[in-house]
Amino acid sequence: MSGGFPEALHFSFADAVNRFVDWLVLAYGDQLRNVSDGLLQVLVGLENLLRLTPWWLLLVIVALMTWHASRSITRALVLSGLLFLIGVVGLWDKLLQTCALVLVSTGLCVLIGIPVGILLTSRPLARKLLMPVLDVMQTLPSFVYLIPVLMLFGLGKVPAIFATLIYALPPLIRLTELGLSQIDPSLTQAAHGLGASRWQRLRRVQLPLAMPSIMAGLNQSVMMALSMVVVASMIGARGLGEDVLAGIQTLNVGKGVEAGLAIVALAMVIDRISQAYGQVRRG
Amino acid sequence: MKPITTLLASALLALALIPSSHAADNSTPIHFGDITWESGSLTTEILRLIVEKGYGYPTDTLPGSTVSMEVALARNDIQVIGEEWAGRSPAWIKAEQAGQVFSIGDTVKNADEGWYVPAYVIKDLAPNLRSVADLKQYKAVFKDPESPDKGRFLNSPSGWTSETVNSQKLKAYGLHNDYVNFRSGSGAALDAEITSAIRRGKPVLFYYWSPTPLMGRFDLVRLEEPPFNAEAWQTLTDASHPHPQGTRSLPAKLSIGVSAPFKKDYPELVEFFTKVDLPIDTLNKTLAQMSEKREAPKEAALRFMRDNPNIWKAWLPAEIAGKVEASL
Repeated sequence: MSGGFPEALHFSFADAVNRFVDWLVLAYGDQLRNVSDGLLQVLVGLENLLRLTPWWLLLVIVALMTWHASRSITRALVLSGLLFLIGVVGLWDKLLQTCALVLVSTGLCVLIGIPVGILLTSRPLARKLLMPVLDVMQTLPSFVYLIPVLMLFGLGKVPAIFATLIYALPPLIRLTELGLSQIDPSLTQAAHGLGASRWQRLRRVQLPLAMPSIMAGLNQSVMMALSMVVVASMIGARGLGEDVLAGIQTLNVGKGVEAGLAIVALAMVIDRISQAYGQVRRG
Repeated sequence: MKPITTLLASALLALALIPSSHAADNSTPIHFGDITWESGSLTTEILRLIVEKGYGYPTDTLPGSTVSMEVALARNDIQVIGEEWAGRSPAWIKAEQAGQVFSIGDTVKNADEGWYVPAYVIKDLAPNLRSVADLKQYKAVFKDPESPDKGRFLNSPSGWTSETVNSQKLKAYGLHNDYVNFRSGSGAALDAEITSAIRRGKPVLFYYWSPTPLMGRFDLVRLEEPPFNAEAWQTLTDASHPHPQGTRSLPAKLSIGVSAPFKKDYPELVEFFTKVDLPIDTLNKTLAQMSEKREAPKEAALRFMRDNPNIWKAWLPAEIAGKVEASL
């Protein structure tokens, strides 16, 4: 089985990892579940808020946001029309659940991603250490970390958020870093010369200049969060992904297509709105 | 029970089978379906050991998903499926009616499925929990963190046949307002959640089946359900039936699937397959050890044969049994 590779050099760390995960579950499982319950309250709260809002009001809000971002009435109508169609095929509640999941993961992405991006620009050592970590986060097959995360945080929405975070965070960090490092140094120096503090330089000069790049990163994060929806449903997170999964597993292609297109529609809505905001800032 | 397969997997299997379909002389190995779930892979290795060492026929395995293996068996691309849940899939029923495949023997008696809780839950938290009817008063024990006023019942993933049955049972037992019907998304997620809860000593109520490593590893109690009733069972398997009636699940019959040419060419092996009888407790224990020590199925099969000679000797003529014993 091992081909020509010498037996003597075989070394497997699978057992050590198994023991480590088992130990983590025993030693920290209960504490981590408490953390998980806290996060769950936020998510369920948001979900219930979305549910309490009448459906037409949500459509109006989406239309207004689109109009505010892009100043285009056609676009506002088309996007809220897409969401309306999701409701028509009977996936409204699942849409809200997926939406809450994506919003919470994206919120966490921003909270973590932008500061880390700033850190990477200003600290070369951090950059060296974190870049390989980002590579791992983007390429490690998600089931490899999903199952241990599930054992620690419980089945359902919370491990789904963590999995989404691991997958969707890297583009935001990378593009924040890219945007900040492409700023002409003379501008920062000028601000320095005018007596701006470090914080003022960052807030007033660097972040606004890097905003198009950061918005592009955020947009990527949201798209990746949406693409994780089906994987998330494999660990018990409710939402549109569940229908895709059930559709595939029972060869009910129609059901899968309906839910799949609903995910695409949601992605388009979020994408167009967030991109439009990015362009407004640029202009 | 097993997740329904994708077309892709069948396509891959079809590719894998091309080289094997043209060869029929005596040295051709007998091809077993390479079953991936634990009890199936262990049974397959036990059968292969006996066929190779006792009867002297070479054997080999070919990978595939459940349905694609059944299709391959009908075409004699493989000859044996070591653990066949006969009669559960349309592909099997069609091939059996056409006389292309046969299910031989009754390999694991008392194979079971139902709703389980760990024994410590009854001891410490729910002293009067015996049957599904008692679940109503204990919904706080199995609290669902996502909707704290209800209990959580861990169902199998959407898409499994058992998921429909369990959802209908929740209604039939009047529990659908007290328990969240929590579909676990995938078999791996179901296993991980149960194992994690048991390792931490937390209450958990879930659907499961046997023979499985989990059954051998932990002390689990199956909740009592009304005795089996074929009519009520029909209302449970039909997802859209408005008034499902409760009954315990259709007793599973596990057997060995063989192709028609195999049945004709190897009567002595068919004779042996008919007698195979794996006691469920020993099987669950062996599976638990196999999963805990992360043994390969082949090693686990060898250990099972060394430790339990009485079980397998009963299936074989004395002369063959002697040969097998000598090889261990």
